Amino acid sequence: MVKSLLVRQVLILAALGLVPGIGQAIYFRDKVSWRSPVPASEMVTVTQARAWGENAIWVDARPDSEFARDHVPGALPLNEDRWSELLPQFLAAWSQEKKVVVYCSSQSCNASREVARRLRNEAQLKNVFVLEGGWEEWLRTNRRNLKWLNR
Amino acid sequence: MLNDRRPVVSEMNEPSTLNSQLSTIPQFVWRIADVIVGGVFIYAGAIKVLDPIRFANDIENYKILPWTIGVGLAFYLPWLEIFCGLALILRRLYLGGLTILTALISAFLVATIAAKIRGLDITCGCFGHVSQRWNFSAHLALDLLLLAALILLLFRPGRDFRLA
Repeated sequence: MVKSLLVRQVLILAALGLVPGIGQAIYFRDKVSWRSPVPASEMVTVTQARAWGENAIWVDARPDSEFARDHVPGALPLNEDRWSELLPQFLAAWSQEKKVVVYCSSQSCNASREVARRLRNEAQLKNVFVLEGGWEEWLRTNRRNLKWLNR
Repeated sequence: MLNDRRPVVSEMNEPSTLNSQLSTIPQFVWRIADVIVGGVFIYAGAIKVLDPIRFANDIENYKILPWTIGVGLAFYLPWLEIFCGLALILRRLYLGGLTILTALISAFLVATIAAKIRGLDITCGCFGHVSQRWNFSAHLALDLLLLAALILLLFRPGRDFRLA
């Protein structure tokens, strides 16, 4: 008795949730890719980004405390906690010909994707890239390069 | 349409000592618990409905599901949370709402602990920007509290589980 009631209620609720969910998915069909979180064209490796040299502007999307501890030389802090405060500082340093490279702590963090998305959507910037592997990958690449130089 | 005889939790053979202890709690306390727990899930769902892409990214952070499934869930789960929260507050489809929310919070707890063990830097996304700065212990404490509340509501003595 309770079991059949439970199954019926679960099915009704599951179906109810499906209706607006599908509606929203249709509404957002042009705003999100169903294939990958960040298109490959919007990702950049440490080596590629470093090759851009002065043409790249590095953005640190990690919390202030982590930025204060260490960061990519010349990187500007721009995290979501202090977005409205830090965005004008970033825009003052930005210029149209520069490519923006956003990073957070590691491959699994989300902050760089969010900051990159907001820079594209809210600040209407082009040439915004997410650094593959984030800060951890930057450190790894640096260590590899140092080892190679010390040989 | 309601049945003449409504099934009650006492038919589920739960331990009688727990049942007798729970039956001493006044009905209005259970009702308040319904509204609070339901409200928390409605709030959590509404926050995610407003920004499903962010929630999809949060699901992606757990590195458990393929992106495509994560996007589908990001559109679906927030609405499911809202309807289940409403079920608790309005006392309609109550048993179904409680069961789904218990399953969701349990799955989320397992995923959070697994992510922590794997050393992933996760943003849970459960309460939008509000929860972004919470640490792992705060997430865990809130989830366990919600799970405990849901289980208590599920085993509330004398509860009649109405369909509609």
